[in-house]
Amino acid sequence: MPTIKYLSPEWTAEAEQRLRSQLTPDQMKNLTSSMLTVYTNCPDGKDRALYYKLENGIFTDISIREAPFPEAEFVISGDYETFAKISRAELGSRSALMSGRLRLQGNMVKALSLASIVDRFNKILSEIDCEY
Amino acid sequence: MTTNDPYFIDFPGRIKSIQREMALDGVDVYLGSRLRTLSWTTDAFCPWRSYIVIPPEGLPTVFTFVIDAARVADESWLDFDHVLGFAPMGGQDQITAVSDLIKSYLKNGKGVVGVEAGMSNYLPEGNLTHYEYEAFSAALPGARLVNALDIIDRLSMIKDEGTINRFRKAGRMADAGHEAVLKAIQNGGFAKYTETEIAGIAALAMREAGSTWEWSFTGGNEIASGYRTGLMGGACTPPTDRRLRAGEPLMVDLHSTYRLGLGDHTHNYLLAPATERQLWHAKNFVDLVALCLDTYKPGITPSTLADKMMVFCEERGFAEFMVPGFEHGIGMLGDEWRIGRNDGPFPYWTNPDHVYQKNEMLICAIQYACPEENIGFRYENAILITEDGCETMSKFPLAIEVIE
Repeated sequence: MPTIKYLSPEWTAEAEQRLRSQLTPDQMKNLTSSMLTVYTNCPDGKDRALYYKLENGIFTDISIREAPFPEAEFVISGDYETFAKISRAELGSRSALMSGRLRLQGNMVKALSLASIVDRFNKILSEIDCEY
Repeated sequence: MTTNDPYFIDFPGRIKSIQREMALDGVDVYLGSRLRTLSWTTDAFCPWRSYIVIPPEGLPTVFTFVIDAARVADESWLDFDHVLGFAPMGGQDQITAVSDLIKSYLKNGKGVVGVEAGMSNYLPEGNLTHYEYEAFSAALPGARLVNALDIIDRLSMIKDEGTINRFRKAGRMADAGHEAVLKAIQNGGFAKYTETEIAGIAALAMREAGSTWEWSFTGGNEIASGYRTGLMGGACTPPTDRRLRAGEPLMVDLHSTYRLGLGDHTHNYLLAPATERQLWHAKNFVDLVALCLDTYKPGITPSTLADKMMVFCEERGFAEFMVPGFEHGIGMLGDEWRIGRNDGPFPYWTNPDHVYQKNEMLICAIQYACPEENIGFRYENAILITEDGCETMSKFPLAIEVIE
């Protein structure tokens, strides 16, 4: 498979295909929620966001957005390079949060209960061979 | 809990009353941080640093340490969306999380934020620290932070029926502790126990009666024996491993909790044999407590009551053993020091000219100490100011028995 560019339409399509095929609603705890991952300072200087919407454990929307971003139950924001390091397994996502390099907005108590689910789909996304 | 429940408190009504006072005082958002404020508004025990953000209208939101947020939400009348956790993470630290929510209530980020920035000699009071004040000021550059704690203090002064009933219930739980202690020490049983064991006997009985905590920050159940009862000022006696001994006084100060209502009652004993001098001290004290309870009524002030009591002590020749104060404040958990509002000559201390009103509660607290003779007594009992007197929450009979 040719290498694709991180956060490109091709990467998004691949992410959607993998998440839908590898994660069952049960594995997603039949969750209904939405999450926005905001990447600041992308290589072209813009801010972009990856928007996920889940209904009863099924991904109904995975899309790249540009400002103005949609509202979501959880918003994680940080520098593009921070996310790239996480995807390359050079930095742990918890470590990035605990050091303040990532910023989470939303109900922390709910976020804690969803941490394992987010880990699950982040692992799948990190397996996409891509260039940053 | 339904409105028919004797322990029902109208918490949404309390929030609306705060919001009305906020509007009158020109406060756009109230940021509460004191333990007494959190208890009075949330109906949940908040032992970790916590905040309540009260908007001009609608439901408030509580922030507490994330590890305890689910439990607080479970106990509070507020739902899980209005009890949030904070943690040392980007965007989730307490300054960021709280100020983000406050900003959402301020028009263009501008307005007046009421904070709690006073002083107390009660350590877990929970006033905003200097660091927090500076950090919130920096995070809310368009806002003006003003000290607004009087809003809560004036609203919480007169107790509603549900609160009073919680105190009545907690008082009965303290009585259960006293009955267990009396049973344990009778017939020479006292010689088997240390102060800490007496505290434990009482704690078990109170827990069996439904008490959730020996709440006092001054040491849970405060037990003192022998010379420790007579320490000058002596209003704080966390129990030690000192063994009870014949011929000595014993002070049993029990603290029970029911739905954030507080039981606080002290009973005293003389462990036989008792000397004539010890019995003289005991009679002085019991007579003084009886007179004091008979004197509390609407219209009286702490200073006029103290004057009357000290005249009696002087006439009977024991004024030198008295601490000339006869009460401390009480309310839902965290409110255990000042009487009334912060309107006295010394900031954040009880105003000696505070005029008691019907349905105020306080702890009738009397301390008698004679260090030279290794003897002292304490009386504490939560009381409700009634139409023409007062009602004691603990019903354990007033006496100082000689325990054979």
